[in-house]
Amino acid sequence: MVSLARKNLFQDLPRFVVAQAGIMFAVSLVTIQTGIFNGFTRSTSLLIDNSNADIWVASEDMRYLDLTLPMPLERVTQAQQVKGVNRAEALIVGGAVWRRPSGEITPVRVVGFNPDGQLFKPWDISQGNLSQLKQPYTVMLDDSDKDGLKVERPGEAAEIGSFPARVVGFTKGIRSVVSSAFVFASLENAYAYDNSPLASAPDNPPRPPGLTATDRITYILIRAQPGTDLQDLQQRLEAALPETRAYTREEMARLNQVYWQKSTGVGFILGLGAVVGVVVGLVIVGQILYASVSDHLKEFGTLKAMGSSDWFIYGVIIKQALWMAVLGYLPGMALCFALGAWTLEAQAIEILISPITATGVFGITIVMCIGAAVFAIQKVTHLDPAIVFKA
Amino acid sequence: MDKLTPPVELQRITPAKAVVASGIEMIFQSGAERFQALRGIELEIFSDDLELLMGPSGSGKTTLLSILSGILTPTAGTVELLGQEITGLSRGKLAKFRLKNIGFIFQDFNLFPALTAQENVEAVLNLKGIRRQAAKHQAQQLLEQVGLADKVKSLPRDLSGGQKQRVAIARALAGSPRLIMADEPTAALDSQNGHAVIELLRKLAKEEDCTVLMVTHDPRIMDVADRIVYLEDGMISPQAPHFFPVADGASSS
Repeated sequence: MVSLARKNLFQDLPRFVVAQAGIMFAVSLVTIQTGIFNGFTRSTSLLIDNSNADIWVASEDMRYLDLTLPMPLERVTQAQQVKGVNRAEALIVGGAVWRRPSGEITPVRVVGFNPDGQLFKPWDISQGNLSQLKQPYTVMLDDSDKDGLKVERPGEAAEIGSFPARVVGFTKGIRSVVSSAFVFASLENAYAYDNSPLASAPDNPPRPPGLTATDRITYILIRAQPGTDLQDLQQRLEAALPETRAYTREEMARLNQVYWQKSTGVGFILGLGAVVGVVVGLVIVGQILYASVSDHLKEFGTLKAMGSSDWFIYGVIIKQALWMAVLGYLPGMALCFALGAWTLEAQAIEILISPITATGVFGITIVMCIGAAVFAIQKVTHLDPAIVFKA
Repeated sequence: MDKLTPPVELQRITPAKAVVASGIEMIFQSGAERFQALRGIELEIFSDDLELLMGPSGSGKTTLLSILSGILTPTAGTVELLGQEITGLSRGKLAKFRLKNIGFIFQDFNLFPALTAQENVEAVLNLKGIRRQAAKHQAQQLLEQVGLADKVKSLPRDLSGGQKQRVAIARALAGSPRLIMADEPTAALDSQNGHAVIELLRKLAKEEDCTVLMVTHDPRIMDVADRIVYLEDGMISPQAPHFFPVADGASSS
């Protein structure tokens, strides 16, 4: 079948290229805004999503991961006694100040965990190993924070609060856009850093002591015994551990995501950007299709006079719109993937383009182009075929 | 008219009427303004004839052609094409009727500029439900028939005026319609091309059992018509107006 739609579209190549650039722009804008939103959302719950815990126990006053009240370490032992608990581990999350050798200070987020534990550990280690963190005053950083913390390789040292911090390894891609740089340490080291006064580090500080039952931790990570109903276990944990609340991992992640989305308005801002992208695309495609239909009005009139149905002509215009959608979407999406890879590599900022996002944006592109086609179709609907006899 | 008269044994005894228009009135109204383009048109056109519709500008030729093609609906009167009354048909049914039975030729050719000569013909065949190889083959045959076998892959912009009109004729013939409605098909052509096109149309009318109704101003082609209908002030004139040359062979309405 002769494709009048395709041939009409490619007949005026410069106009076609301008149209495709417009659609590419719209596709890229929607995809990047959505991708940044997804990446942002994921990064707010990065530590939670990558833990191996079924349940996170937190202070009942907790608002989000970084804003909570501590609880004594003895709660871990108490949690271990609760029916249905297979394993309980402590986690310390707290803010501290990183002092570079040059004297500059930078805020960091110290994450203390048991290097021999099972429920939390940095998941992508590019240099060093976890057992090195058992040594006093040792830390792991993320590759993406090397510049910010002025550290290049393992063995280099800085200070956290009034204690030294020797870098023993690096992780890859563990960075949150809503948090300071993560500094991974053992529970003992993290506790020391967390409670360190902001003063210069003494020479040869004492080895951090082991934690006692009254020492403060931030979260308890729980692994349930196989077959345990998590809702029941949450209730039992809350009953057994005073002033706490128990969240499944998904609930905890969601709580953080919602907090950041609402408190920062980022969802609204990025959503607005995406809507602007769709509107701009709609206007551009609409204009191009309308102009194309106007240019080919006599041809459509000829088709009508010869007896073609209105729907055949609508089909030609809609096919044109679909061609424009597909040929604008593919390079637009390729551009977004390339940009996403670059931002991740250069800035460790993830533009998360999931298959759902890619499919959704394709759907939006199609709807956008068909919408523009419907606008252009109006011109044909009222076309009098008798125009063909007017020279 | 001798050269057009078939041998006695082949002459039509009761010639079929391809077009019967009766009591056609056409009034255009725009706000308070009212313009009567046609009045009391009574017209019969016989099958396989090539008939010309002539008259001065504004006499209503194009309006009448549009009505006889089922593109315009008259204010009053009826039109019967190929034995079917079309004035009462819905828009959709009229479109289907035109698609099946009428081929169109336009003054400005109205070819699809993005399509090659073959694709222009093929597109109409596609519209009529003929697809793929069959459509390609038929389109090539039709272009061959109008003497454009070597131009099948040419775009309209690469064709001369005469060649474009030949493509338009091939397109009009696609799907073997019984009627061809032509609006000033030679107006944009020089004398030589104009004559060639008319000769082609006349030949096709006779060989393809096709009735051709043609609006024209062109006195050069009067001698090839079977009959000429003159319009003046929206009415059929019993004879050629004084400023019109009279054809040697064709009978007047």
